[in-house]
Amino acid sequence: MRILLDSFTKTFGDVTVIKDMNLDIKSGEMLALLGPSGCGKSTTLFAICGIHGMDGGRLLFGDKDVTSLPSQKRNVGVVFQNYALYPHMNVWENIAFPLKIQKRSKAVIEKEVQAMAELVQIEELLDRKPVQLSGGQQQRVALARALVRKPDILLLDEPLANLDAKLRLEMRSEIRRIQQQTGITAVLVTHDQVEAMSMCDRIAIMNGGKIVQLSAPEEMYRNPSSDFVAGFLGNPPIAFLEGVIKDSHCHLHGGETRVALNGHAQKVSDGQKIKLGIRPEFFRPEFDLKVKGKISFIEAHGRENLYDVVLDNGDILRSIQNHDAQYQLGQEVTWGICQDNILAFDGEGERL
Amino acid sequence: MKKPSHLLGLGFMLPALIVVVLFFLLPVFMTAGIAFTNMSTDTGITGGAYELTPNTIHNLRTQGVDNNLLAQLETDVYRIDEPGLAALATDMGDKLAKELGDTHGGVTFQSRRELERAIKKLKNKPRSTRKLKKAAAFFKRSILNQRFETESEFVSATRNLGLDLAPEHQEVLSKASYTGWTWTTENFSLMTKLPSTLRIAGNTVIYVFFTLTFNVSFGLFLAITTFYLPGKAAATFRTIWFLPRILPPVIYVLMWKWLTWDTGFISTFFGQFGVPAKNWMLDTNFHAWVVIILINGFVGASMGMILFSSAIRAIPAPMLYASEVDGATRWQQVRYIILPQLRWPILFITSYQTLSLLTSFEYIFLATDGGPGKATEVWALSAFHQALANYGGNLQYGYGAALALVLVIIGIIASVGYLRVFNFKELVARPRIEQ
Ligand SMILES: Nc1ncnc2c1ncn2[C@@H]1O[C@H](COP(=O)(O)OP(=O)(O)OP(=O)(O)O)[C@@H](O)[C@H]1O
Ligand SMILES: [Mg+2]
Repeated sequence: MRILLDSFTKTFGDVTVIKDMNLDIKSGEMLALLGPSGCGKSTTLFAICGIHGMDGGRLLFGDKDVTSLPSQKRNVGVVFQNYALYPHMNVWENIAFPLKIQKRSKAVIEKEVQAMAELVQIEELLDRKPVQLSGGQQQRVALARALVRKPDILLLDEPLANLDAKLRLEMRSEIRRIQQQTGITAVLVTHDQVEAMSMCDRIAIMNGGKIVQLSAPEEMYRNPSSDFVAGFLGNPPIAFLEGVIKDSHCHLHGGETRVALNGHAQKVSDGQKIKLGIRPEFFRPEFDLKVKGKISFIEAHGRENLYDVVLDNGDILRSIQNHDAQYQLGQEVTWGICQDNILAFDGEGERL
Repeated sequence: MKKPSHLLGLGFMLPALIVVVLFFLLPVFMTAGIAFTNMSTDTGITGGAYELTPNTIHNLRTQGVDNNLLAQLETDVYRIDEPGLAALATDMGDKLAKELGDTHGGVTFQSRRELERAIKKLKNKPRSTRKLKKAAAFFKRSILNQRFETESEFVSATRNLGLDLAPEHQEVLSKASYTGWTWTTENFSLMTKLPSTLRIAGNTVIYVFFTLTFNVSFGLFLAITTFYLPGKAAATFRTIWFLPRILPPVIYVLMWKWLTWDTGFISTFFGQFGVPAKNWMLDTNFHAWVVIILINGFVGASMGMILFSSAIRAIPAPMLYASEVDGATRWQQVRYIILPQLRWPILFITSYQTLSLLTSFEYIFLATDGGPGKATEVWALSAFHQALANYGGNLQYGYGAALALVLVIIGIIASVGYLRVFNFKELVARPRIEQ
């Protein structure tokens, strides 16, 4: 089911947390709300499920205006950050709760709970109490409870934040599998960019209560609209170099290095300050635009190594390379930047 | 290394131990001890002496002791014995004494007239009637209203009367005339026999059950309603409902009295509609009970409210949000999410209040003092009345203590029962740590 937020505004007391937000989520799509802590992700989610009222704007599910509908009537399944399982009920009762509230027949409840348990693969845990479950198992129960009454929309508030790295990886694909299997429209709140990129059809990046970009993950990575987005996506993160335009070239601060501004030349004027974003995979020995620096830090990632290189003007570039390249800490290197993949931003951080 | 740390633990425990011993064990043991005595104002709480009073004789008669014997004990007898003769000799001369000793030595006369007649027949009889009466008076023997410090003195005194007492009668007599307290289980047999016991037991059940029901349900009601109110209003309401508890009981009960007096608020109010003024608290048993339950109920409810409120606020907000998006209405949220998680505080309040209500009587004492009649006399109040505020003025320490001991035993059994039924261990078990 399609979700449409139309100039949604939310205030807490005097503070306006979200102002005039527009968001259109397609039916059957899984959308990530990605952003730093406190940017309003949970607030947006709570507005969609009706826990918080909206202070302005409209919310549509399909064609239906649900702005003033209480959360009980919205038919939304929510997985909360800490799962919010009912501690006094066992797993079976937890999953059955939404159906019990609807006064469905015993047989129906039995059948649906069993089906859900199979879907999330926890059939053997039905008699346990939540405290007797591991984090990943609790997460599956919460998912089953959110899905059992066949909601139109599934909302997930940082569902993987409490899991260890391996389990997180497992649950990522699990949630995606279930979402695709049920074809449900889903919103995933997260501040983990890897999670957003690997699980979702589209990502909405939020900052300070605004959506700064809404794109498919690949597109967003390759084509960020601002330095904030470029900095938020990608691990290890992008490195920025500051410079000034002269003769359609960018002169880096305090150095002789000049970078040609291929496609962007006509958008800038001499003397303008700009910022160049260079992802670690585009700063390697084999590329053309050579810069000189000194290795200041080495981080082994197993298959790859990450190097921090300090340029002579003090700026830092990052490079990611195969682990068999043998470089030492403090070594002077002259590596190249891949000119086609430089991301250029203006003084305000807008993409050029 | 091990020993000092043990001592340290003991050191920390010591104040608690002292308090438990001083304010719990000691009173309980003393109550248990006194419960098996017949201590009262009459007996005093120290030892006693032997004294035969008309009252004792009356009691013995009701116990079915031989009437003849009792009649003899009651009336004065005249016995010609050595001490009497010696006294007579110094007062009226040896001759009369010797003659009387020779003729009637060791004889017991049942009345003064008989003795006087016998003396008149003597050669050395006194001249005047006045002297005759005086002579007879030397031989008057009675143990009625005389104090004897030891049992042997008492026994020899009864022997002196010349009564033909069988040993078992002598024993009954000594026991009955002992004025101090003795060990006995009579309090308990008396308790089972007295119809008032059933009455106060029934009253206690009514009192505890209804007050507790009111307490817990009203406390829950307040906690839940104030939970859903906005912050400021909720705080105001809680403060108002907390007043009964922080008010001194005497003032609090006095306010109820003002409310219910025949010149009080209710009477004045209904007086507007032509209803005659009356004491709304004491006019019927039913009214007395309603007032008692409300007085105690409001005090208890405020405590439940505080405890339940904080327990509700301890429920994580996302859990309540979750139930809302799961489709639960307010009522279903209360029914399925909030109430089950209040199981432990409800248990605590229930058990705590049952025990404290069983033993508390101060509000009843101040309000109705068990009235009208004995309609609201509960067990604890009865124990208090028996032991410390008897109408007759004869305080029955022993019987009162026996009543109190029953409460102590019920209290202990109830506590153990509560812990069993609610599976205390499981309730306080630590949840497994999440990974
Ligand atoms: N109930 C509230 N009262 C007042 N301010 C609030 C309330 N809830 C959230 N806020 C504020 O609104 C802003 C957005 O909060 P929100 O919970 O949506 O952040 P978030 O993006 O989910 O962050 P996180 O990743 O840390 O969960 C924050 O600045 C927060 O302080
Ligand atoms: Mg959040």
